[in-house]
Amino acid sequence: MDWLKRIPLPRMGLIVLALVLAGAPLLFSNPYQYDVAIHVLINAMVAVGLNLLMGYAGQISLGHAGFFGLGAYVTAVLSASYGWPVYLSMPAALVVVAILAFVIARPILRLSGHYLAMATLGLGILISIVLRTEAGITGGPDGMMAPPLSIAGTDLYDERYWYALIAVLLVITVWLALNLIDSPVGRALRAVHGSEVAAEVVGVHTLGYKVLIFVVSAVLAGLAGVLTAHYAGFVTPDLANFIYSIEFVTMVVLGGMASTYGALIGALILTLLPQFLTGVDELEMMILGAILMVVVIFMPTGLVPTLGRLVPGGRR
Amino acid sequence: MKAVLECRELTKSFGGVDAVADLSFSIERGHIHSIIGPNGAGKTTLINLLTGIYTPTQGSIRLADRDTRGLAPYELARRGLGRTFQNLQVCMNMSAIENVMVGRHLRLNRRFIPALLRLKSVRAGDRDCRERATELMRFVGLADQIDAQPSEMSYGALKRLELARALAAEPELLFLDEPAAGLNANETHAIGVLIREVAARGVTVVLVEHDMKLVMAVSDNVLVLNYGRRLAQGTPTQVQNDPEVVSAYLGGA
Repeated sequence: MDWLKRIPLPRMGLIVLALVLAGAPLLFSNPYQYDVAIHVLINAMVAVGLNLLMGYAGQISLGHAGFFGLGAYVTAVLSASYGWPVYLSMPAALVVVAILAFVIARPILRLSGHYLAMATLGLGILISIVLRTEAGITGGPDGMMAPPLSIAGTDLYDERYWYALIAVLLVITVWLALNLIDSPVGRALRAVHGSEVAAEVVGVHTLGYKVLIFVVSAVLAGLAGVLTAHYAGFVTPDLANFIYSIEFVTMVVLGGMASTYGALIGALILTLLPQFLTGVDELEMMILGAILMVVVIFMPTGLVPTLGRLVPGGRR
Repeated sequence: MKAVLECRELTKSFGGVDAVADLSFSIERGHIHSIIGPNGAGKTTLINLLTGIYTPTQGSIRLADRDTRGLAPYELARRGLGRTFQNLQVCMNMSAIENVMVGRHLRLNRRFIPALLRLKSVRAGDRDCRERATELMRFVGLADQIDAQPSEMSYGALKRLELARALAAEPELLFLDEPAAGLNANETHAIGVLIREVAARGVTVVLVEHDMKLVMAVSDNVLVLNYGRRLAQGTPTQVQNDPEVVSAYLGGA
């Protein structure tokens, strides 16, 4: 078993993740369970991206649901209203999200701390208001239909196929995120978090890196939104609701800042929790709040890093 | 001797107060230069001007005969300028060696797509970077703390770690902002030895320091500031015997 030890721990995690995602359907017996699993994966995709921005580069965003909603709407509008094929409207939506994130990033990321939090919060709310009020394009508060994704001439409706597609995309996302962190770019991002001035004087263009990672995390949120639109078959302005921005941040903090696998665990817990709390709906937010407080007070670095410290060499 | 850095009539005002006033001097290649002066003399303002943290109110700074006006610190780093900080600027979210590896940022392939795919060139570059960083940590005397977390390291060790990070960038001109602050006599002596070794590697060193023993022991040239102006400049012996310097330090008439 010596060869097993030679695989670096983060890569090992990637193999475990792939196996878990491949094996999980054995436990699913109905479409509803697939549906929940798909939502876990979609949220995980956003959380992994947001963790790059928050956990590694140390920049907060309370507006990522805005990019999620924008991605969903752009692909829905292009495909439903303008008749674009879905395989073109999806990447087009990502391009739109990337452009908006890039344009907004330069002025916004000159801010830091609370000011950055407020600015991103405002951005998210702004997007959600536009989606709600531009009824001529977006269908207003009722939302609009999004045509299904077709692969090789057949429309994708079956939850099982969606699960497989999104699981593959998530594994690729995690792989890319791990690669990025373990590279000169990743070290520069972490240095921006650790000491911006120290990063600058060794030649790191700190604003440039902040913009880069903001765009990357926005595109991942946009991708999750795009997938949601065609999976669900409809979009509503609620997708961009700022409550979801807060939830994404909570996933990252709960799972563990600067831990890619932590982001996955955070997404899993926060997406499943409401399922276990059905029937006690009014308690859901209370329990969520209590969990968050306990974690922040007793495990300020989050679940996965805290547990990881119990295993030698088990960082990240 | 060719000047690496040249300042002309440099002035920096903060709300009407000139922290640095009408200062002209040059720094020659291959020497250890020190900038000293009583508290509030403008030493830190000067180093922040020279390293691009502040923009001069007036005057010019030329680095290797090129005007540095409007250049950000990261652009100055590309022109061979490095520095350490008086108040530590170690990245506590990274291990000791990763801090040093960040120092080699400009020497590595830092394009986004190769990093994302972790191409062979990126892996090879990182391996080489880790080796060089290990070497530098040995050089500054941190061979036994390569994988340490900065939170577990002593203050003196963190100061050395900053030096290793600055050296990793292979600067031509290195500013050390009070490297001996907070160190005891033995540690200060050891830092002095290290600074000389750095200079012997061909790096031009500019030292901003309070510890006179260290300054007088290692410097080739000393610039004395008082109230943001040049009070004296010369060899350590010349400066020590300058009546104006003595009176500024001792507060005499």
